[in-house]
Amino acid sequence: MEFFMGSVLPYGAFSVFLGGVLFRVSGWLRTPVPFQLTLFSVPRNRIGKICLIFSEVLLCRTLFRQDKLLWVWVWLFHLSLFMVIFGHLFGIFYLRDQFCLVGFRPEQSQVLSVFLGGIWGTLMALSLLALLYRRIFNLEVRRLSSPDSYFDLLLLLAITLTGIFMYAPGFHPELHDVRAYMAGLLLFDPIPLPRSPIFVAHFLLVSLLLLYFPFSRLVHLAGFLVIRLMLVEAPPEYPIPGHKRPRSIFTISKFQPEIPLFSKNSVKREGRSV
Amino acid sequence: MKIPLRLAKNKDLPSIGINHVAETNLCSQTLQLLDEYRAFTRSLSVMLENCTGCGACAKACHSYLGTGDFFNIPAARAGLLRRIFVRYFTWSGRIFGGFAGAGEIERGILDRWVEYFYQCNACRRCAVFCPFGIDTGEVVLAGRNILSRLGIVPSFMADIARNELTSGNNTGILEPAILDSCSFLEEELLEETGLQIKIPVDKPHTRILYLPSSSELFVNSDTLMAAAKVFHYLGLDWTLSSMLLEAANYGLLFDREVMKKHNGRIRAAASAVGAKKVLMGECGHGWRAARMYTEGANGPFPFQLQHILELVAECLPELRLTKLPIRATLHDPCNYGRGAGLVDGPRKIMRACVADLVEMTPNRDRNFCCGGGGGLLMDEMKQIRMQLGEKKAEQIRSLLPLDYIAVPCASCKAQFPLLIKHYGMGEVRTGGVIDLVGKSLDMRGSAVFAGREPNLT
Repeated sequence: MEFFMGSVLPYGAFSVFLGGVLFRVSGWLRTPVPFQLTLFSVPRNRIGKICLIFSEVLLCRTLFRQDKLLWVWVWLFHLSLFMVIFGHLFGIFYLRDQFCLVGFRPEQSQVLSVFLGGIWGTLMALSLLALLYRRIFNLEVRRLSSPDSYFDLLLLLAITLTGIFMYAPGFHPELHDVRAYMAGLLLFDPIPLPRSPIFVAHFLLVSLLLLYFPFSRLVHLAGFLVIRLMLVEAPPEYPIPGHKRPRSIFTISKFQPEIPLFSKNSVKREGRSV
Repeated sequence: MKIPLRLAKNKDLPSIGINHVAETNLCSQTLQLLDEYRAFTRSLSVMLENCTGCGACAKACHSYLGTGDFFNIPAARAGLLRRIFVRYFTWSGRIFGGFAGAGEIERGILDRWVEYFYQCNACRRCAVFCPFGIDTGEVVLAGRNILSRLGIVPSFMADIARNELTSGNNTGILEPAILDSCSFLEEELLEETGLQIKIPVDKPHTRILYLPSSSELFVNSDTLMAAAKVFHYLGLDWTLSSMLLEAANYGLLFDREVMKKHNGRIRAAASAVGAKKVLMGECGHGWRAARMYTEGANGPFPFQLQHILELVAECLPELRLTKLPIRATLHDPCNYGRGAGLVDGPRKIMRACVADLVEMTPNRDRNFCCGGGGGLLMDEMKQIRMQLGEKKAEQIRSLLPLDYIAVPCASCKAQFPLLIKHYGMGEVRTGGVIDLVGKSLDMRGSAVFAGREPNLT
């Protein structure tokens, strides 16, 4: 069992996550876009388009325009998620000394790392709770939700809370052990999981998230870009040259008009009136 | 909410290339069509699979705001299709079933599709406000396509499609009637201006083929007459075509095969008169169909394609216009604002033609639909259309007193008079943007251009 949880599960979960997301995205990208779905107004040049997509990715610009309150929670959640992931990477690798890289003293870096981790973790939990509250108490959104919508939020909330819980005295796993374990995974030489129940719970929940991610609506992190790219495509320019690559097989099948091209009457009328 | 939509009879369907599907095969056929459609276009699967149900679209949709029906929230409307799609074509739906929001296919769901896909104007406003850019209009059009391949088509659409396929225009006007009304309009123009302004039909070796909305021959004839005046003034070599007297393409709104066939006529009609440029008249979805769908439907297109409002906006410096002393506003048809990016041209023209131009809020690509788009112009849907147009009526009311609302789209032109009458603003006149140019154009200026071909691209 320990071998399974410590060695098989992390590799399995990560492969499913990566493979699943790639499979779904490539599945979308393989399907043709038979007609330009440009959603105007769209910038003409490439830089404008890149700026537009980045402002959507980094700032959720559209949501800000539409619903400021929802935007606060959504943006805060995604930002804190991003921050927490980076915090994990640096904090574990440098054993909380990462801020020494920007000129802090080691003891300052330790405090700052603990403090920032706590703040972002709390913000993440708060924003998830706010989103959950909205899903339950906003009648429209409640009716739009299916069980998995709640499950997504609860799973993320559980991961966040187990993460924060590790701050509690007595539950704190040794960072050295965690780093040694992660290093073992990365070097394909896994060692047993650190002996901290709360860490194991946190770790198992993250594995579950990775396993579940590609099959769920959470895949919107990738699908979002696929949609946005369709919407900023340049509209066609006329005349369309004959050598341009057909957009799909629908374009290729030919159609012949059923009524004659010319009619004698109308030509005669023209002749008379000119 | 039940809608009083009349469906076409089975015997009328083969004439528009649709076969009737037996009642017992409906469900299995639906799944097969859904499978074909998802292989046909990327938009369907990616838009259905990524919606998180955040509800941001609810406040953006005039249909939900006007009717208050939950299933008119774009996410819920798309959800009617999503539950089937997820159940049969995604891993999560096959494994988790109802937990992932999946539902089994049953006959009843098709009735729901008809009900709610035909309360959507496919105006794409939800796509502008969705954080992911999910375009419920695309999902609705996919749903309507599947329904029509199952033999479930509103009789209004089926009639128009039959007219488009046989006569080349929505109203089914045949050539003698076209010639007749053009002669009549020429006489009207002679009376009005004292000039011999021609409305040529099928004139060979012409540079420009003009595709008006067929309603301009009878109902909105001011638009066609104004266009003829402008062309005469500029000395353009133009003609109408009796084989395609229509900018609209109803196929876009319910069946892609019909869309393709009708769209193919543009090329055929332009070749027939030897045109170099195809000029589209004031029609919202027609302009989107021509500009955005021609390449995908029929491939290479060896002609230039331009909208009449773009052409007139380019030629404004050459036109001698006197500003009309009226207070007017411009309604941005959805298919111009969001569908094909035509918002600046009409404004330029309006500013040159009227003394007081006021803007609606919101406008341009965030404008509300009038409730007449997406092919919902059938008589039996009038009551629902009035509800769909509630937001538009509010927008107009906040601008009163108004003399004129410019609506450069044939569907809007049919909806607006009913809408403003329904909401008690019957004194406001509506009409096209070109109509205004016709009224404010001083034809004496045309002498400047007599005998020379203006070098327009």
